[in-house]
Amino acid sequence: MNRDKHIASAFDRDLETIQALVVKMGGMVETAISDAATALENRDEELAEQVRSRDKAIDALEAQINEDAARLIALRAPTATDLRMVLAVLKIASSLERVGDFAKNMAKRTTVLSQMPVINGSGLALRRMSQAVAKMMQDALDSYIRRDAELAQDVRQRDLEVDQMYNALFREFLTHMMEDPRNITACMHLHFIAKNIERMGDHATSVAEQVIYLVTGEMPDEARPKSDSVATAGTMPAEG
Amino acid sequence: MYDMNRVENAVTQNDIKISARKVQVYYGEKHALKDVDVDILDKTVTAFIGPSGCGKSTFLRCINRMNDTIPVARVEGEILLDGEDIHDRRVDPVQLRAKVGMVFQKPNPFPKSIYDNVAYGPRIHGLTRNRADLDEIVEKSLRGAALWNEVKDRLQEPGTGLSGGQQQRLCIARAVATSPEVLLMDEPCSALDPIATAQVEELIDQLRSNFSVVIVTHSMQQAARVSQKTAFFHLGNLVEYGNTEDIFTAPKDSRTEAYISGRIG
Repeated sequence: MNRDKHIASAFDRDLETIQALVVKMGGMVETAISDAATALENRDEELAEQVRSRDKAIDALEAQINEDAARLIALRAPTATDLRMVLAVLKIASSLERVGDFAKNMAKRTTVLSQMPVINGSGLALRRMSQAVAKMMQDALDSYIRRDAELAQDVRQRDLEVDQMYNALFREFLTHMMEDPRNITACMHLHFIAKNIERMGDHATSVAEQVIYLVTGEMPDEARPKSDSVATAGTMPAEG
Repeated sequence: MYDMNRVENAVTQNDIKISARKVQVYYGEKHALKDVDVDILDKTVTAFIGPSGCGKSTFLRCINRMNDTIPVARVEGEILLDGEDIHDRRVDPVQLRAKVGMVFQKPNPFPKSIYDNVAYGPRIHGLTRNRADLDEIVEKSLRGAALWNEVKDRLQEPGTGLSGGQQQRLCIARAVATSPEVLLMDEPCSALDPIATAQVEELIDQLRSNFSVVIVTHSMQQAARVSQKTAFFHLGNLVEYGNTEDIFTAPKDSRTEAYISGRIG
């Protein structure tokens, strides 16, 4: 990696600005994940509402990053590491924005769930899952800041665990719903929450892959442990 | 989806046109070019980039033995054109330069008519038997240089009366009139405005179907736009040579990276 200064110092300032925006956006998304999880666990409607309203700021940051990146490409014609950084930043910002949306959706469902009876046993599993994903996201962003391809590779491998947690939850919700149809509404919401967290893990993985591209100049190969046994389960819900 | 444009822009040829091995150039005491090994492909545009004084023009001038004209210059090593050593005693430098044409930084038309500028090479090399043949070569060359439509009604006017961009295309027409196999261009667009530059770049892309084109340029964007292969020179060394898209997205050498991304190397 080349960390030397450019001859045109304004170029460095532009790159640093865009870099700072991504880091800021990453911090906001990390908070959104953990707050959404806490709100769900504690049935804290107020916190859930905060998560929902803060998503606008995340979206605004993405728009600003896109605009700055377009300007930088037009005016500076970045090459090599600079080019890879701008491309990576665009994709990372887009992933972060999606994660923000998932957190917002979790918060929205939390507001509904607070009015319903608790489904036993699911809370702990969802908490573990959201903690694992929050850590993945944190490490993915750290690997970006430190340009650490090894850490990024590690994040990539950890997505498997999240997928497995999701598969386990899927079966659990299915069982609850079959046992008592009165659980269906709550379990459907909880299932979507689990699915959202699983998708956040995919986006954290995608951020990590962008870091690997940024550092090495090559996208990592496809070989990565995957577990999508839900997709082959007989009671598979339709993909939407 | 199969991306046609990408395929069009890729290196399609693997025939080696020019092969250089351990080329050294000395200007008096100064060792200007050190151990250059490179294979330049046929029907491909190769760009030489690097900071001033890095040896890129020096190496370009080796390919048609232009350094022979500089008394203090000494060239060592081997340069093969189609497998034949260009420094062989049987090779006539004048014949070599008919095969390896050159276009310079500043347009330098002869103080003659547009027609005579283009006809000059074919005449002195005796490439035509009669006037009709010569007319044909002049028209073909001017068409090849995308200049015919602009000058066909005033072929007898002086070439120096054309605009800068037209003059440069006239020089390209003059260079292609002797049916060269290689076209060397030493910063052919540095004296041109953006429109004329775009026209010359478009022309370079078309010329690629007939020749091997080697271009020295200070504009990295130009190298990126017109070439399929890029060679980066630094302090007399050939640092990195590879596919242009690789050089500009993920160069292997840190000096290449520093140079193309505008950092102090």
